[in-house]
Formats: sequence, structure tokens, C-alpha cells
Amino acid sequence: MTLLADLSPVRRIREFNLTWSDVGPFLALVALLVIGFAINPEFLSTTNLANVITRSAFTAIIGVGATFVISSGGLDLSVGSMAAFITGVMIMFMNRLAPDLVGWAIPAGMAMAVLVGLFCGLGNGLIVTVGRIEPFIATLGTMGIFRALITYLSDGGSIPIDRSLRDLYRPVYFGTVAGMPIPILISLVVAAAGAFLLYKTKYGRECSAVGANEDVARYSGISVVRTRTVAYVIQGVCVAIAAICYVPRLGAATPTTGLLWELQVITAVVIGGTALRGGKGHIWGTIAGAVILELIANLMVISDLVSEYLVAAVQGTIIIIAMLIQRFSK
Amino acid sequence: MLKRNLFAAIAVGSMLTVGGHAIAADKKVIAVSIPAADHGWTSGVVYHAQAAAKEINAAFPGVEVIVKTSPSAAAQVSALEDLTASRKIDALVILPYSSEELTTPVKTVKESGAFITVVDRGLNDPTIQDLYVAGDNIAVGKTTAKFLVDKLGGKGDLVVLRGIPTVIDDERIKGFQDGIKGSGLKILDIQYAHWNSDEAFKLMQDYLAKYPHIDAVWANDDDMLLGVLEAVKQAKRTDIKFALGGNGMKDIVKKVIDGDKMTPIETPYPPAMIKTAIWMTAAHLIGNAPARGTVKLDAPLITKANANEYYFPNSPF
Amino acid sequence: MSAHARIEESRVDALAASAIVANSVEPVLRAENLTKQYGLATVLSEVSLDVLPGEIQAIIGENGAGKSTLMRILSGYVEPTEGAIWMEGRQLSFLRPSEAQEAGIALVHQEILLADALTVMENLFLGRTLGRWGLADDRRMRRLAAEKLAEIGCAVSPSAIVGAIPLADKQLVQIARALLDEHKVVIFDEPTAVLTGEEVRRLQEVILGLKSRGIAVLYISHRLDEVQQLADKVTVLRDGKLIGSYPGRTLSQMDMARLMVGRELAALYPEKASKPSGEPVLSVRNAHVPGYVEDVSFTLRKGEILGFAGMIGAGRTELFEGLIGLRPARASVQLDGKPIHFQSPRAALDAGISYLTEDRKGKGLLLQERLAPNLTLSALARIHPGLYLRRSREAAAIKEAVAKYDIRVKSYSARAGELSGGNQQKLLLAKVMMTNPSVVIIDEPTRGIDIANKAQIYAFIRALVTEGRACIVISSDMQELIGVCDRILVMREGRIRGEASGDKMTEHEIAFLATSEVVGPIGAGDLM
Repeated sequence: MTLLADLSPVRRIREFNLTWSDVGPFLALVALLVIGFAINPEFLSTTNLANVITRSAFTAIIGVGATFVISSGGLDLSVGSMAAFITGVMIMFMNRLAPDLVGWAIPAGMAMAVLVGLFCGLGNGLIVTVGRIEPFIATLGTMGIFRALITYLSDGGSIPIDRSLRDLYRPVYFGTVAGMPIPILISLVVAAAGAFLLYKTKYGRECSAVGANEDVARYSGISVVRTRTVAYVIQGVCVAIAAICYVPRLGAATPTTGLLWELQVITAVVIGGTALRGGKGHIWGTIAGAVILELIANLMVISDLVSEYLVAAVQGTIIIIAMLIQRFSK
Repeated sequence: MLKRNLFAAIAVGSMLTVGGHAIAADKKVIAVSIPAADHGWTSGVVYHAQAAAKEINAAFPGVEVIVKTSPSAAAQVSALEDLTASRKIDALVILPYSSEELTTPVKTVKESGAFITVVDRGLNDPTIQDLYVAGDNIAVGKTTAKFLVDKLGGKGDLVVLRGIPTVIDDERIKGFQDGIKGSGLKILDIQYAHWNSDEAFKLMQDYLAKYPHIDAVWANDDDMLLGVLEAVKQAKRTDIKFALGGNGMKDIVKKVIDGDKMTPIETPYPPAMIKTAIWMTAAHLIGNAPARGTVKLDAPLITKANANEYYFPNSPF
Repeated sequence: MSAHARIEESRVDALAASAIVANSVEPVLRAENLTKQYGLATVLSEVSLDVLPGEIQAIIGENGAGKSTLMRILSGYVEPTEGAIWMEGRQLSFLRPSEAQEAGIALVHQEILLADALTVMENLFLGRTLGRWGLADDRRMRRLAAEKLAEIGCAVSPSAIVGAIPLADKQLVQIARALLDEHKVVIFDEPTAVLTGEEVRRLQEVILGLKSRGIAVLYISHRLDEVQQLADKVTVLRDGKLIGSYPGRTLSQMDMARLMVGRELAALYPEKASKPSGEPVLSVRNAHVPGYVEDVSFTLRKGEILGFAGMIGAGRTELFEGLIGLRPARASVQLDGKPIHFQSPRAALDAGISYLTEDRKGKGLLLQERLAPNLTLSALARIHPGLYLRRSREAAAIKEAVAKYDIRVKSYSARAGELSGGNQQKLLLAKVMMTNPSVVIIDEPTRGIDIANKAQIYAFIRALVTEGRACIVISSDMQELIGVCDRILVMREGRIRGEASGDKMTEHEIAFLATSEVVGPIGAGDLM
């Protein structure tokens, strides 16, 4: 073939090609820390930061799963009530085993939680993929189901953890390893595993391909059903891990446990740079998004800037501004 | 909406055809309409309402108490329509979801000749109710405030956690503010935590980070107090002398019984008020005991001395 | 007007000299020295153009020659950096498309820009709903819509939902929308890319109708045969510069290609196989795809390029989508003599059958993704045995593909959507070959691609079969099939109606089999 003009030289293959959606969330995080420090130096105290980041662990851990689901073109509204349901089942299971197994009841309970989470996620996934129901509606349905189940299991009250297990289990939320709170460690491990899976494995590649364009994925021989279902299963397991960290915090599951977490999680994922319509997922962005959300809430209380009545409005405004900055700095 | 009216119309139609039944049975019917158990306090309401129904149905063969729970104001309106469409009821005991939406439907029931008992949340038109049973939200705040003024020697720094922006919340806060007026107690901060333990936990962590010295915490509901206590425990702060709640949750009452240092008292806003209301309504219907008017349950200080009276270990709340 | 080209070949020089120098009639639209720069890049450089009333002027050029930019400037979508536009002696400057429309210039877009959920009528009047007393006047709109559709020979009902009508009809609806108001100049940007024989003919009638009413038509097309038949004047662009305007029907297709490319062209089609095809590779018996295909049987031999001709809706795409498990189908299929049945595209890929979709943007490539992930998407397991992805292998694979298929990219980290259509198609071909298939099915190999890239792709296809693979080409371009294939099967209404091979491989024969009626070629005699 000698038909065409000369070939422009091809640049080297490994390029550092950062986009705003890659770094944006982290810049926002830094900006927030600076603003916070300017308002009240107490904001940057180790205790406060440790508290806030520890709290964000639930949103972060569930957000890692949600990044898979959203990246694959799905949505899961049931994560909050699923977390409550798993917490309830886990506590009841541990309480039953406690008299015989004592401390071993806790790892058994954790295993149970992961198992329940796996099946909840599988259920969601199959309804969406095999049942071909819109993810929004399907998970809205299971959201109601999980919420009703926890309300039923607790008689509308609470399911407290057995006193004998309480102190044994407490360090999982309140303890530290080398000065680092355990929930933060767990979310880092979950995020690292998620990032490996999403960026370094064939499944991760297939997951974002399915989310970016279902047809292209199908025509490329990728099973859309399998890929999406697995994303929901990952989500279920992540919810279970979050539940495992949550139980020792207040030691009980109630019908209000995990209320509105789903919105919190979806917001974190989107702030983190993952598009709600699917495609490339940003695991570390999601983690940053989760921390940002908790920091904003913390900043509202720490500062005396706004009246208690307007806190939610300011939070909403900050989130919208963050998204607008992302939108227009492309 | 159309569908619901249609349903009601069908139900009315069927009532006309089988109407003979209800009259023939000649039982006095008391319908109880309450919110579904979606958090601690309402689960207590459901528990006590069902307990009252069971006791009355067993004790008085001539009375039938039906308990119906609804998850939202709209559902409660439908529930009222269904209750009255299928049979004639002699009395309605209702804890309305919201005053605005339920006023007219309850008025319709009243016009059918039923005796109306309203519990806790008042209706917009007080002439509808024959009997009104309620706790005293202002007293919940005030009693707690008085206790703190007394124990802290009239001086100290407080933080307050409030619930969801509603009349109940406002009244409790107002009572509290009235109670500390004139003393040296100062409210450092007050924020919403939506009557939710998790949010209260976070908020208390933030309070602790923000204020190096706090003498006492008041959460205007016991669900929130649970989160507060956990945060205080984590921070290992010794400056906090009291962490108080309100509502009469069994776990907190148990603390009072056990002589807890940080939470030595409790103020009741007992969900058992529904039980009081149902019994009074039954008394009016079958016992010929006049029971019209307003009954305001006091919010006395629960201390170690009287705590057993407010302790229901089997209630979920 | 001057020709800027640096042309090496004397034949091309002679052609350039024959360019039209002056007009006797006053032009309806005149463009003077239009230049468009994006930053440092000049995409259009001092292009001048006269359009006469009642004239059909074709604009031709390779991808990237500046045709689309020129059209976008004339229709108000892009502002020129320099230069002026005159209409009937008045100088205009368009800041937005609506201003160009008011001045009497309409653009028929290449892409289908219709709302799928709305009806044909609603689409026609979108943004300019006819009303009475603030209410939409549906009756009047439906009547006008029906008239306009009938005028351009489109048989769809005004109340049909656009999402449910065939692609070709969508294109016609889009044309009807542009023609709804009376315009002085109508610009068609590759209107026939998705149309087949009969529809192309109808569109050409519409264009001739416009001409007869004194309306000027600017016509962009890659189909040089159409240009030759239709255009009164042919304007050639290359690298953003005007090469010249030539009287219609004086240039052969080869002449046009030479002017576009700027040097002597090798043959468009590669030489056919000299030795006869080998043993059967794929044999299909009694294939049924519910709703599309009935009882189709055929055999594909080793080293053979087998063409599938037919009108849109004949069931060709659906037949092969069914065979590889993309849609429900039944058939008894033998691959290398062994019976197989594919439940999923994955199974077909693993068995060595690869399908290249006709819809490269919608179903072929992830436009937001970079090149390497696109290339390897259907062969992840093959490239990355084991648990995780190996970047180095991907880098090597894309490097090899870029070299082998001559994919022009600015950088390896470019996104697939940034490539030109021809390079996207080459990337897609490379992707399909990543699974090392023994049977390659290519659906519309060169739709909307310029002539130089076409020639390359034909050569690649021929190279595939000389390597010992077998290839099926589905195309609506009969010349393409005749030029590339060793044998052509013609489908109509879901069945195979006949085979054209050897001497019988003519447009006439294929059209006869595809429509069961003889379609006369559109000759110059019909046009005048």
C-alpha cells in the first residue's frame, strides 16, 4: 500500500495521561482540608481526622462494590437496607453461638455475614440480569424487602449483640494497628483489592466494557449477564464487610441502621469520578468521595458558619459545586 | 387516588350487602390506628397497643379491639377508609402520622358516630376528639433541664442533640431552654441527629473534637443517647458528668435501675400511652365511665427509686 | 479560482487545468476564501466556491480533506476564521444554524439525529411545532408530513415511532425534515451511506426534483459512481485546500480518485485468487432466525471470499448474528466437518468464527476507551493467560496491529473515538483478528470510508484468505462485492435467492436476484 501520506510518528506507548476525573476528587479533598484548617485548626487534629475517616469506612467499603455495579452500567439502591439486614442476621447468629463457642462466635458470624451478603448480591444481580428488570426498580424492590426483614427480625426495636461478645468484638471498630484505626485499614485493603480486580484483571476490563457499551461487549464475546451479576455479588460482599465493621460500633441492628446509606454511597462514587451511566470506574476516587462527604458533615459541626437548619443545604451545595467543577474543567 | 376511591366504593358496596353481620354480632368494635414500627418508639407503641388489644379482647367478650398499623400518613388515611368501610366501628383510637393529613379522614369517622380518641399528636381541629391522651413534650425537656441545673450547681457547658424538625422536637427543645433559663448553664451547640443512633454517634464525636470541655450532654431521645454514650466511651473523656436522654427506652431505664453514674435519671414519654388511651376508651364504651377530655401524662423524673414502674423488659423499646 | 495542489502526475495536472474558471450565471451561494483554524491546525484554507441555482454540486475528498468543515461553515454550525459567505449578492455571517436556515440553507446530516421515542411527524416538526391558539395543530402537521414523505417517496406513516422504522427510512425522514421548509440551497452530507439500491435511486430522484425547482444542491459522497451520475459540477478538496471545480460527467471515477488522493492510484480492488478454493470450512444447513431468516443453506470454502448481497432488511446481518449466538436461531452448522452449535458469541469466537459488525461506533468499538483495550477486548483470555492483565503484552499487541493494519494514530493513548472512520474500521478489523479466527465474517467493511482506506481494507481482506482463512463479506455496495468476492450469494426477504459467480457477477444480475425485478441502471440519459 503506497496510497497515503506519511505516517506521523507515534509517541511512546506508556503515557501519563491524567484527567480531571482521575485527580479531581483528591484535589477537592485537599482543598477541603485546607479550608477546614483555616476555619478551625482543631479540624486537622489527629483525633478528629481519625474519627472522620473511620466513619467514612462504611461508605468507602460499600462504595468499592458500588463502583463495580455502577461501572458495569447498573445501580444498587438496596445497599443501606442490605447492610441493616446482614447486621441483624449476623448478630442473631453470633448470639446463638455465643454460649457454646464464646469468642469463636465472632469469626463464625463474620463468615455468615459474607455468605448472606454474597447471596443478597446474587439475588439482586439475577433479578437485574436474568430477570431483565431495570436496576433502579429491581433494587428499589429488594431495598424494601431487606428493610422490612430487619424491622421484622427486630420487632421494630433493636437486636443488640450478646454482652459476652461486646468487648471482644469492640476493637474491630475502635481498635488500632500501629496507630491506624482498624476500619481505615479494612477499607484500604478492600479498595486495594477492588482496584486490582477492576484495573488489573480481565474481569475488571470486561466490567467497564459492559458499562461503557453493552452491545460492544456482547459483540466482543463478553457475557453481559455474568459480568453484571458478578458486579452485584461483589457489591453484596462489600456490604457484608461494611456490616462486619459496623456491628461493634453501636453493638446493635435497628430498623434505622443504614438508612439512606445508598444515597451516601452513590454520591461518593459519583464525586469520585465514576459516571452514573457506567464505563470506567474510579475506585480510589470513590474512597476520596466517601471521605469528602464525611469531612463536609464534620466541617459543618466543627465550624459555626451555618445555622443547624441549613446544614443539609450547604452540604448539597458543596456537592453540586464539586460536580460542576468536574464538569467544566474537562 | 382514583384506585383507592374505587376500592373504597367496592368496600362500601360489600358492606351494604353483608351489613347485617356486624350488627348481629353486637360486639362493640374499637379500631386502633397507629404508625408501623419503624424505629424504637413506634415499635413500643405497636407493642403496647397489641398488648392492650389482647388483654381487653380476653377480658371483655363484648368488645373487639382491632389494631391496624400503617407505614405512612397516606397509608393511614387508606387504613381508616378500609376500617370504616367494612364495618361499623364504635370507637377509634388513633395516633396520627401527621396532624394535617389525618384531620379530615378522622372527622369523617367521627360523623359516622364513633367515639374518637386521639393520642400523642393532636389533630388540627381539637373539636373532633372526644378524648385526647398525650405525653408532655415540654415537660420532657424541662424536667431534664431542672435536673441538670440542680446537679451542676447552676453552672456548666452543655451540648444538645435534637431529632427531626417537628413539633415534638421543637417542644422538647423549648422546654429545655425554658428550664435552664436564668441559670448559669450554657448551650454550646445544638444540631440535628434525626433521632438516629449512628448520626448521634458521629455528631457527638464532632462535639467532642470541637469543645475541649463539656459538662453534660442532652439527647432529646434515647436512640440518640445510645450513640452519644458510645462516642463518649471511645473518647475516654472525663469532663462529661451527665449524658441524658428521654422517652423511656428500656435499656436506659435499666441503666437508671442499675445506678449508672452518667445517666442517673430518665424522663418518660412512654409509648405505653397508647395502652392508657385504649383502656380508657374501652372503659367509656363498656364501663359507662365518662372519659371525655384531655389527659396529659406527666413526664416525672425517673430515678432509681421509681424506675421499676417504667421498665418493660419484654417491650422492644 | 486556482488549484493549489502540488500534483506530480501529468494526468492529474491536465485534469486540474480543466477546472471551471468563471460562471455565466449569478451564483445563489458564494463562499470566498473560507479558512478555519483550530489553534495551530488549519483544517480549511482559503476555499472559494460558487453554487448556481438549480445546480447539483458534488464535494469530494478523502476523510480529513475539509469537506465536513466546509459544510458546517456554510450551514452555520462553525464560524470561519476568515472569509465571507454571500447569498444572492448579500454578505452574511452565520452565528448559529438557525440563521443559515432562515437565509435558505438546509443541511441533511450524515448521522441520524432523530428522537427514537417520538413519531415521524413529531420528529419532522420538532422545534417548530405548528400551533393554533397555543395548541399543537396535529391534523395540519400530519397532513404536511404525509405530503412531504410522499414527495420523497418514503412509505412510512407519519404516526410511526421513529425507533421502530428501518435505518434507511430514518435517513429519508431526516431528509424530509430538512426539506420541510423551502430552501435555496440544500446540503447533503453522505446521505446514501446507509441506503441501498432502491432507496438510493429514490433519493436521487428527490435531488433531481429539487434541481428541477431551481434549488441548488451540495452533495458530499464517497460513492464516486453516484457523483459521476448525478453531479453537474464536482469540487475536489484535499488537505483543507481547494483542488478545483470540474464540470460533471467529464471525470471518470479513477480521475476523481486521483484528484482526491493527489497521486496515481493503484487499483482499488486487489487481484482475485488464482487457484480455486479449498475444502469446505463452514457449512450451514437450514438456518432459521425467527422473524428474519428462513431456511438458508450455504458452504464456505477455505481461501474463499464469499459475498452476501441484498437489500437492507433482507436478513443478512441477522443470519450471521444468529449463527454466532447473538440472537436466537436454529441451524445445523459444521465447522471443519464437525457439527457445532453456538449458544454465545464467546463459543463462536473460541471455535474460530469472528464477526465484524456493520455498526462500528455502536457495537464495534468503545469510543471512550484507548486503542489497546479495544483491540484486545474479545481476546482477553488469549492475550492474558492467568489472573491479571499484562500491560506489556497489550502494548506489544497494539504496536503490532498499528503497523500491520496501517492505523493512523497520533499516539497510542488516543481514544478510539478520536480516530477517523477509516482508521476505526482498521482497528476493528485488527480487533476481530485478535482471536485468530479461521472464519471471518465482515459486515459492511467500508461504509462511510474514503477511497484510500477502502483499498487498504480490501487488500487486508484478500490477505486474510491467502493466509488460508475463509471470509464472508456482507455489503450493500454491489461494486464492492463484485470487486472483492470470489462468489456472491444474494438474499431477499430472509432467503437465499441465488448465486452470482464467474461471468454472472454483475450488478444487473445481483440487483435482479435481490429485488426479483430488473432495476435499470441510472444512466446519464435519465438525468437530463
